[in-house]
Amino acid sequence: MIVSGTKELGAPREVVWSVINEPSEMAKLMPGVESFEITDEKHWTAKVKVPLGLGGLKMTMNFEKLEEREPEFALMRAKGQGVGALMDMTTSFTLSEAGGGTSMAWEADVKIAGPVGAMGQRVLQPIVNQQVSQVLEALEDRVAAASTE
Amino acid sequence: MTTTVTEPAKTLEKGFVGQSIPRKEDKRLVQGQGTFFDDVRRHGMGYVHFVRSPYGHAKIVSIDVSKALELDGVYGTITGDEVAIHTDPFFEMSVEPGGNIKDYALAVGRVRHMGEPVAAVCAATRELARDAAELIEVEYDELPVLVDASEALKDEVVLHDDAGSNVVWSGVFDWGDVDSALAEADHVVKIDKLHFHRFSSTPLECAGALVEYDKGTGEWTLTCNHQMPGVGAIWMAPALRTGIDKLRFVTHDIGGGFGNKICLHPQYVVLCLLSRKLGRPVQWTEWRTDQHTANAHGNERWFLDVEVGVMKDGTMTGFKVKALDDCGAFPRYEPLGCIIWAQVTPGMYGWRNIRVDFTQVCTNKSPVSPNRGYSRMQHLWLTERIIDIVAHELGFDPVEIRKKNYVQADQMPYETPNGCFYDSGDYSTALDMVLDLIDAGSIEKRREEAASRGRLLGLGIGSTLDSGTNNFGQSTLLNPELQFSGNNEAASVKLDIFGEVVVTLGTVPQGQGHETTAAQVVADILGCSPDQVNVRRGHDTWFNSHAGFSGTYASQFAFTGLGAVKGAAELVRDEMIQLAAAVLQAPPEAIELSEGFARIKDGPPEAALPFMALGAIINANNAFLPPDFNPTLNHRYVCRPYFGMVDTEKKTGQLTLTYAMQIHAAVVEIDPETGEVDVVDYAAVDDCGVRINPQIVEGQVHGATAHAIGAALHEDFVYDDEGTLLTANFYDYHVPHAMDMPPLKTGAMESPSPVAPLGAKGMGEGGGGGIHCICSAIQDALKPAGGAIVYDSCNPAHRVWSMLQDPEATRANVSVASK
Repeated sequence: MIVSGTKELGAPREVVWSVINEPSEMAKLMPGVESFEITDEKHWTAKVKVPLGLGGLKMTMNFEKLEEREPEFALMRAKGQGVGALMDMTTSFTLSEAGGGTSMAWEADVKIAGPVGAMGQRVLQPIVNQQVSQVLEALEDRVAAASTE
Repeated sequence: MTTTVTEPAKTLEKGFVGQSIPRKEDKRLVQGQGTFFDDVRRHGMGYVHFVRSPYGHAKIVSIDVSKALELDGVYGTITGDEVAIHTDPFFEMSVEPGGNIKDYALAVGRVRHMGEPVAAVCAATRELARDAAELIEVEYDELPVLVDASEALKDEVVLHDDAGSNVVWSGVFDWGDVDSALAEADHVVKIDKLHFHRFSSTPLECAGALVEYDKGTGEWTLTCNHQMPGVGAIWMAPALRTGIDKLRFVTHDIGGGFGNKICLHPQYVVLCLLSRKLGRPVQWTEWRTDQHTANAHGNERWFLDVEVGVMKDGTMTGFKVKALDDCGAFPRYEPLGCIIWAQVTPGMYGWRNIRVDFTQVCTNKSPVSPNRGYSRMQHLWLTERIIDIVAHELGFDPVEIRKKNYVQADQMPYETPNGCFYDSGDYSTALDMVLDLIDAGSIEKRREEAASRGRLLGLGIGSTLDSGTNNFGQSTLLNPELQFSGNNEAASVKLDIFGEVVVTLGTVPQGQGHETTAAQVVADILGCSPDQVNVRRGHDTWFNSHAGFSGTYASQFAFTGLGAVKGAAELVRDEMIQLAAAVLQAPPEAIELSEGFARIKDGPPEAALPFMALGAIINANNAFLPPDFNPTLNHRYVCRPYFGMVDTEKKTGQLTLTYAMQIHAAVVEIDPETGEVDVVDYAAVDDCGVRINPQIVEGQVHGATAHAIGAALHEDFVYDDEGTLLTANFYDYHVPHAMDMPPLKTGAMESPSPVAPLGAKGMGEGGGGGIHCICSAIQDALKPAGGAIVYDSCNPAHRVWSMLQDPEATRANVSVASK
């Protein structure tokens, strides 16, 4: 499942870059993060709870930064494992200056295997949309806060 | 419900055969007093849960069971590596390359379909076992996935390195002279591709077993619901490096099989290993999602490059086709599906020239197993699609072209081009009956009325055969090295000390009513009431008489199963008469068995012995009998039908012996806005020869019809490109509810089989007729909306909607070359 979009942020590109390329900052944006551990500058692990089914789907996500061209492009991969689900997500974003702010074009290729994946796009798409929406809203707030710090 | 019977049932002397007596099984089943394997408990038994692959295709990097073993209440685990050490791969039936495939009970080193078991855990409760399974960590490396049979043919990705190819089996079947038949035809209709989709059955009871290991004797007892234990043991014993008699299969009531419960040997081997390893009974009950995902599916098949010769008057001269069969990740029961279809090579039609170029491949999908109408359903769907597409393209009436090309009643018994004999039947009369039931004469009026409501209405016909009594010799047409030929079945009948008639069956009933029909046959032969006949429930391979391939499959109970019952009952009957003659001092020919007595015909009423007396004499009071007279009143009989040998060069022979027939007709309405299909009228006529119990026959027609309607409109195992099954539950895999069922009108005719012991033919697998007729009806309904050709066996709303939007896309698959 490929999801993509563009988000306009009211902060300079360097500020946005600093937020979304700092793992600990990014962790604050992700919904359902229960714990977060940085292995090195290119690898980190998060335990998350995805709002799926009763009690949520708990997954351990391993992130790896694959490529970055500061301050405009980054590519990362996240592999997660939980009960009945394996997730493999490759995501990238491109930042460009837009007036005084930043335009962020993003894309994510999400693959979910196992019984949860078998539920198909009909069930998963709304959840992915909800998660993306929450991340973007949190990002907007965090970038606004960072630009005033 | 309407039932029409054209001929009275042919009955035995006393007449319980042919009556719809209530099923003996139903009292306990309806009252919830049936006993299924899952009802059986043992002291200290553990519950097993399988860890299954989430990937369609991946290398297993590592399996870590340590966290699961730390959990309190977990008894133990097993992985593929252990299985590879303690067992051998299962026997493969194919020649190379498929014959080189190595298939173990658990995945070894690689997973090849979503849901494939990679490990198992045993714990004190079912829930705990499931929790523990979630603690088993499996690391995978994904591999490229094959979900398309045509792609599999390219061998760019190979599932089984030992085979070196995805092709399991391939071969050409060529009967008559199809090239000449096509050359001489006035028209040649070409169909580029047709697709028979992947679906299966959904028995009420999922698979499972309780397995106990006896350390002292090395014997395993499997209390289970395997429907063909003879074959199960043949697969399992060599893999477990033990003897067949070390595996005791015990069944009680079984909640449906339909073929799903034939290929359970991988899971059962794991249970055997676990019970031995842990020193305790282990029990596994399959979860429904697992049943959908990885129990077994029906064969998916593509029909490519079909060419059909047709004369001006509608006579069909022959056809040729390339069949591409997708058997999923492992050819468990395969490649038998590459030949089983040939039992019905020309369908119900008089085609003499047929060429089928057949190839079967592996893909990253669930393995297949026999499924109601196994392999024949796909081929019969092809023949029915051919008929309707030819009629559509050349302007023939679908009814008349069928009647013109059907095998005619006066041609019976009819030898097909490949040496099978259709034993009896009158297909044209049956078609007339079904058309009457559905009031086909009013169809144009109904079409107009539906059109006034903005709906498209169509009538479709589906003709189908149910070939019964499987000749295992047909396997040698695939692999001449196999030492299989013919078939047989056993039963035993005895009169016990209190005069009760006791019957044990070699078959393994799963709801077909064997206890009832066997009792009817025995009651007629022995002259008593079916109530006096106790047909033991279930099957125990240690105590029930059975043969090598005993089981309930291939529509053969009516022939071999009841044939064995009849033979054993007749042996007991003859001894009862001799015994009564000796006691009553009368010649044997003067003795009759009637109403539970042996008596002198036309003799005084007191000159009669109740069965109880006969049983007591033999079992408890036999000292007065002469020394050279030693009846036992206890007999086993093996019914071995005569098939003769198949010709492996010409690929001909009697692949089966009886041919029951069903013709279905459906009227559908389509909403052109949504593509939604409603079945608004439905009728089916069945001819299975002598009906032992008409109500049971009708029930099987109903069940088969429901199964077919589900398959034709909803039930579809859909995989995405990653090999993830998208329809793994009842939400997405919609089986018909009661509210989905149209009113059914059923009719029956009886053309007794001249070759079967009771004139009865195996039946119950005629469900394909429903798929055929619904496809036919949809195509008929779509005629005024662009004339789309129905090319898929499953037509849910989105597919019908697509055909409405772009009928030309389907029509591009069909062309006609005329002289």
